[in-house]
Amino acid sequence: MKILTLIRQVPDAEARVKLSGNVVDLGGTTVVMDGMDEYGVEAALRLREAGAEAEIIAVAVGPQRNEDALRTALAMGVDRAVHIETEERLDAVALSKVIAGLARSEGAELILLGGQEADWDSQALGAATAERLGWAQLTWTNELHLNGTALTGRHDVDDGNESFETHLPAVVTTQQGLNEPRYPTLPNIMKAKKKELRKDDLATYGAAPSLNYVSAEIQVRARLNRVIDGKDPQAAAAQLIDLLRNEAKVIR
Amino acid sequence: MIDFSLTDEQRQLQQLAREFTRREIIPIAAEYDRREELPWQVVEKAFEVGLLNLSIPEHAGGLGLGMLDEAIIGEELAYGCMGIYTVLMASELGIVPILVGGSEEQQRRFLTPLTEKPGLAAFALSEPDNGSDAAAMKTTAVLDGDEWVINGTKMWISNGGIAEITVVFATTERGGGHGATVALVVPKDAPGFSYNKIKHKMGQRASLTSELVFENVRVPRGNQLGGLGDGFKIAMKTLDKTRIPVAAGSVGIARRALDESLKYAKEREAFGKPITSYQAIQFKLAEMSMGIETGRLMTYKAAWLVDSGRPHASEAAIAKAYCSEMAFDAANEAIQVHGGYGYVGEYPVEKLLRDVKLNQIYEGTNEIQRLIIARNLLR
Repeated sequence: MKILTLIRQVPDAEARVKLSGNVVDLGGTTVVMDGMDEYGVEAALRLREAGAEAEIIAVAVGPQRNEDALRTALAMGVDRAVHIETEERLDAVALSKVIAGLARSEGAELILLGGQEADWDSQALGAATAERLGWAQLTWTNELHLNGTALTGRHDVDDGNESFETHLPAVVTTQQGLNEPRYPTLPNIMKAKKKELRKDDLATYGAAPSLNYVSAEIQVRARLNRVIDGKDPQAAAAQLIDLLRNEAKVIR
Repeated sequence: MIDFSLTDEQRQLQQLAREFTRREIIPIAAEYDRREELPWQVVEKAFEVGLLNLSIPEHAGGLGLGMLDEAIIGEELAYGCMGIYTVLMASELGIVPILVGGSEEQQRRFLTPLTEKPGLAAFALSEPDNGSDAAAMKTTAVLDGDEWVINGTKMWISNGGIAEITVVFATTERGGGHGATVALVVPKDAPGFSYNKIKHKMGQRASLTSELVFENVRVPRGNQLGGLGDGFKIAMKTLDKTRIPVAAGSVGIARRALDESLKYAKEREAFGKPITSYQAIQFKLAEMSMGIETGRLMTYKAAWLVDSGRPHASEAAIAKAYCSEMAFDAANEAIQVHGGYGYVGEYPVEKLLRDVKLNQIYEGTNEIQRLIIARNLLR
């Protein structure tokens, strides 16, 4: 079987973003593989390590710099990568058309992708992809097992969790807690050099964004920079609690 | 003609080392510095991801990374903690003489085990009464049948006593000068071989520094690297290479000093304005940046010379002396930017200064580096 795992790139948590014209400009910003997608890659690798006979294919749809994230996935252990290189920004519905199209042409039976992205949160991609393919959809997955074609697992909700089972083919979206992604080890980085990274053409998929991004703003948060004198720990703790309760109103 | 871009692969190993530093080194650095203890779990984790003993060649089961690769990684690891990086760096220092002076069979015999489980190597040249003046060494090696018998004391040995293998330099005849020196590989469990941990170091306290004692330690003749009289040459050829990672580590420290200074200066106000609005602070930051950029270039150049098989002794010396002094200044100024807060352990900058001081001393003091540079000029 084949597993597709989608890779997106987002600004590093400590990176600063800037605007250029009416859009966020990530040129010059440190970008990394989205953490949620890393869970997806790790989950695919673990399914295989647990006995599933699978070829794992990492996919990215986006600009040239996506190659870095794909190479990271290759170094983590995926078998090959497909890069649909485009400067076009696709919304979730348009992107789902590409992913579904690729899943069909590759003959994949399982798609793993992040439930949300560090820099965007429509949560629509998994659902839209499953809809297009007519596959089962499992969201916010915290645990995943594959036995033959039977897929079992669990997803956590606010006050507990649900366990599920279904059969392949399926689209699974990840969330924090699914696993602890591995480092791409140095030997694997060296090996990844020899793995295939295929370039693909967006035009093949007939996907066009149905919305235009008109403008963007970056919120500026003013910091109060208030420092509590810690010489008297008890007084400092009392003052901190007072500030958290009455000024920040984050505790009751 | 010239290209400053890293390969895809190098950018990835840089990323790996950066991530490793963020996850495994930075969170524990202050604690192990305080405890004066080597964090063995970092050695194990470094082994798991392949960041340990990088220079072991492929024929001995290693990755055979080049010096530029090592410099790129070294800068990242030292950014987190120079002391912890010294543990890994000193292991490479113990490996290089086996690459420089050992046969392929010896490389396989001594180095392959280091690729199979987490383990370190060490390099033992300095003695209580002589460091830079290696020809004055007193540790003796006497041939008895097919075995060398070693007696003496070695000083300031990183990873000393816990390393699986230690390359020990000894003289076959006291007063015999460089021509009487020999390089011998001593396994950790050799009878008569013991060590004492050196305590109360100023910095790099997460690395183990030891005094090694040899009392009639016997090793087979097959543990001798190169020929009789090659010891000094092997030691010098090794240091000509391994001081490049010291330069790289120094760049890492300086980068940390700059990052910490930037972070603090942006938040700190004085006279109603952020201190970054004052040129007194801006110039310090600019100075640090100038040092980091130039230091890294020199380090990369020296590493490139090694990797392309060209003479590199002088450039390695320039990189080591320049970068360690540049990083010392950066750490010093980082404390100044932090004011009183920089002087206490709550912020990481005072540790940078304590740690970087050693970079001016080990693997040949910066005075010795100048001697090497001058000799090359006057040759």
